[in-house]
Amino acid sequence: MLDKMPEDTIPNGFVQNSVIAGSNNPPNTAAKKKRNLPGTPDPEAEVIALSPKTLMATNRFLCEICGKGFQRDQNLQLHRRGHNLPWKLKQRTSKEVRKRVYVCPEKTCVHHHPSRALGDLTGIKKHFCRKHGEKKWKCEKCSKRYAVQSDWKAHSKTCGTREYKCDCGTVFSRRDSFITHRAFCDALAEETARVNAASSMNSLANGSISYHFMGTPLGPSVAQHFSSIFKPIPGGGADETIDQTRRGLSLWMAPGSQGHETVGSNLTEIQQLGSVSSEAMYGDHPPPSDYHFNWVFGNNKQSSNNAAEAPAIASASLPLTGVKEAAATASHHHQLVSVNVPSLYSSQQQQTTTHQTQAAAAAANMSATALLQKAAQIGSASTDPSLFLGSLGFKCSSNINQVQDGNKYCGLMYCSNAIADRHLGNDVEISSASDISSLSQLQMPPPAKRRHLQSDRQAESAGGQTRDFLGVGVQAISCHPSSINGWI
Amino acid sequence: MDITLFSPKGTHSHHFFSLSNQQLQQSNGDQIALDMQTNNNNNIQPQNSCHTSTSRSSDSGEPCADTTGGNKWASKLLKECARAISDKDSSKIHHLLWMLNELASPYGDCDQKLASYFLQALFCKATESGQRCYKTLTSVAEKSHSFDSARKLILKFQEVSPWTTFGHVASNGAILEALDGETKLHIIDMSNTLCTQWPTLLEALATRNDETPHLKLTVVVTVSLVRLVMKEIGQRMEKFARLMGVPFEFKVITGLNRLVELTKETLGVKEDEAVAVNCIGALRRVAVEERGAVIQMFQSLKPKVVTIVEEEADLTSSRYDFVKCFEECLRFYTLYFEMLEESFVPTSNERLMLERECSRDIVRVLACDDDNNSSNNGNGDREEEECERRERGSQWAEKLKEAAFSPVGFSDDVVDDVKALLKRYRAGWGLVLPQGDDNTSGIYLTWKEEPVVWASAWKP
Repeated sequence: MLDKMPEDTIPNGFVQNSVIAGSNNPPNTAAKKKRNLPGTPDPEAEVIALSPKTLMATNRFLCEICGKGFQRDQNLQLHRRGHNLPWKLKQRTSKEVRKRVYVCPEKTCVHHHPSRALGDLTGIKKHFCRKHGEKKWKCEKCSKRYAVQSDWKAHSKTCGTREYKCDCGTVFSRRDSFITHRAFCDALAEETARVNAASSMNSLANGSISYHFMGTPLGPSVAQHFSSIFKPIPGGGADETIDQTRRGLSLWMAPGSQGHETVGSNLTEIQQLGSVSSEAMYGDHPPPSDYHFNWVFGNNKQSSNNAAEAPAIASASLPLTGVKEAAATASHHHQLVSVNVPSLYSSQQQQTTTHQTQAAAAAANMSATALLQKAAQIGSASTDPSLFLGSLGFKCSSNINQVQDGNKYCGLMYCSNAIADRHLGNDVEISSASDISSLSQLQMPPPAKRRHLQSDRQAESAGGQTRDFLGVGVQAISCHPSSINGWI
Repeated sequence: MDITLFSPKGTHSHHFFSLSNQQLQQSNGDQIALDMQTNNNNNIQPQNSCHTSTSRSSDSGEPCADTTGGNKWASKLLKECARAISDKDSSKIHHLLWMLNELASPYGDCDQKLASYFLQALFCKATESGQRCYKTLTSVAEKSHSFDSARKLILKFQEVSPWTTFGHVASNGAILEALDGETKLHIIDMSNTLCTQWPTLLEALATRNDETPHLKLTVVVTVSLVRLVMKEIGQRMEKFARLMGVPFEFKVITGLNRLVELTKETLGVKEDEAVAVNCIGALRRVAVEERGAVIQMFQSLKPKVVTIVEEEADLTSSRYDFVKCFEECLRFYTLYFEMLEESFVPTSNERLMLERECSRDIVRVLACDDDNNSSNNGNGDREEEECERRERGSQWAEKLKEAAFSPVGFSDDVVDDVKALLKRYRAGWGLVLPQGDDNTSGIYLTWKEEPVVWASAWKP
């Protein structure tokens, strides 16, 4: 009788559901314990489905003798010792260490399905709280709300310490006055791209945007920006880091807009970085490998130039939570319009402070600016990127040609990332409705099809609409698993 | 020291106002003891007797902290003068005007400033030259008015004081909540804050978790000064909205003589749009008799929400009683000047500009007869007839209720936002929420416990 899992005997609304999770996950091959992608559980793992009440209950572990509840299993064991049990009963269970994964009790949630279960109890708790829970914790200074106490604490530490610097040089301690100033600032009126110093990027102290730029940098000028922009940042950062991140991004943009050739060719090396769509941005430099980058995102409502050519990319793409459909760049994809770099850790759409005017190198790049800004805002997450990243467990494969692998993960990645974003519970709901919709649109493509599309893509010229690489239409955005890693 | 009666210095002319400043001592009791010392430097530099701290300093010569005006010489003199004018006691009028003139200065402390600006209004009232004076003041202001100066002024003001941002945060919160889920928004803006309210709203729209809606902003300009800078403001707004990624349309309506004449068509309100009407400091400019009609006009636009923000003073119900009106006006502006004094640095040019704006308003309220305006004015253009008669929140609320609007309480989130906003400013500011069955619906911003600004939201 003690062979069973303890939960079986505890009458607490526990529902045990042993399901082999996810048939399309690679088996764990490494000897070392490896973290999976979020929502891609070990197929051998046991899936536990807890009711919301149980999940949120603080004392899940009950002593069978006196019924006392404990938060942790270890505490329960300690307590049980005190009961002076006869030796036989002392053996708790001979349960092997079987990995357990948990599903979210919320039916509408993606993580409700066992194939998308999460491996960590604390993780599922936090997810449930953040996504489906009431936001009970409120920041004193700025009245932002959080459902998870640790999120709130993390935010409170950095709230108000953030300083906002406008391009005109003025520094603000208050966000609202910064935004208002920005709107009226003369610096906004100028359309010139301003190269605003690595200094500002280096001072990305609390930046919650953690990109780890792997792979060859884009080019000399761009590279230096990248290295400074993309620093690994542990744990949830401040919300308001956008400005500098954006500036960094705009810097990255600026050279890109001018030296697009360099960027283009180098970009192909960066395929590991989220290739969002397969549309070749750089028509005259078709990337040698399968993936193209479509860095163009933006609000397709914006009347940017050549809107007709704009690949309409749903923002739901993995990295692009919250970004609306892309607007075309002015000059026939020859320009790097925007990068939704930070969007990997999206969740925060809030920080739309705009430093990016400089990024709008040409007039056509107004949308670019917005895109960048969206990118940055998405990227600034007060979340713990490690949750997302760690669970990815992917190593960036420099060899992109492992399409096979990529295919498998792609859909999952897409979904998991989008969801992981939601893990990073933030005050602002990350995903826009388009996220969810495109998520549902997205289907796991058969690998063959994907390869086929890829080769198609190569042949494509720069013109024309972007098709998502799954071929499901203009909306969805392809995701590239290793690209996610690229950002780690 | 007794004050001997001086014979009036010739005719009352502008010369009156250019005398040198005197240093003053605090008065005590009923007797006004004046220690007249000429201080030749005062013309240039403002006297720094009032510290810009929130504590009530009593060590300096002229503490500006008293709001009741009980012991303040300026308040006493001014009220006496007002009474004299009301009684038409001309020798007393002359005497008091002269005294005030000796003591007043627009560069001095609170008392001196109040004395200076109210003196101007009293003088105009006594000589029935209010209209002319007002026109002069306005044209002088227009000459030095530019986008840059206006922007600098209002942004600085918002940085040091929540006087305007309070209304912005409350209104934006109400608007966002009322229009939540809508995809096409149309905001009719009648405000005196030069669109500084909208960047934060645009940002909030851009970062909403759902689809960013399309925003159309129609600004109705009622103040002639504002018209000059609206074009530039519009351009900035458009740029900013582009930056934010919010589809945006900006339109300015000027040349409209009266708010009452606005219609859905003239404003360009479409059927599928969710309309919000935003009135900050605008209703008080409407002629008193037309206010009910203007509010009815709001109804005709079928808005989802109407946000009204006004300053808390009653200069309307007493408009036929000069002394009462004067006292209320003095009370309000004393608060305002003290607030300015404590919010800005002593040498602030922006504060000076704001005070000068007040001087025009004061002249307008006290010395310009509303009824006479329309007849005196040669041309049919009534745009200049903006009066400045404020009303209290409770009075506005009554009017709105009469027009079948019902109050919308501010949600807890919005209230929290307002509280967080106030925390970012110096001490002295407070928030008062409606108490149950109170007639006034809306929240109040308080300065040193006195309600100064009223913000409310209404639905049809």
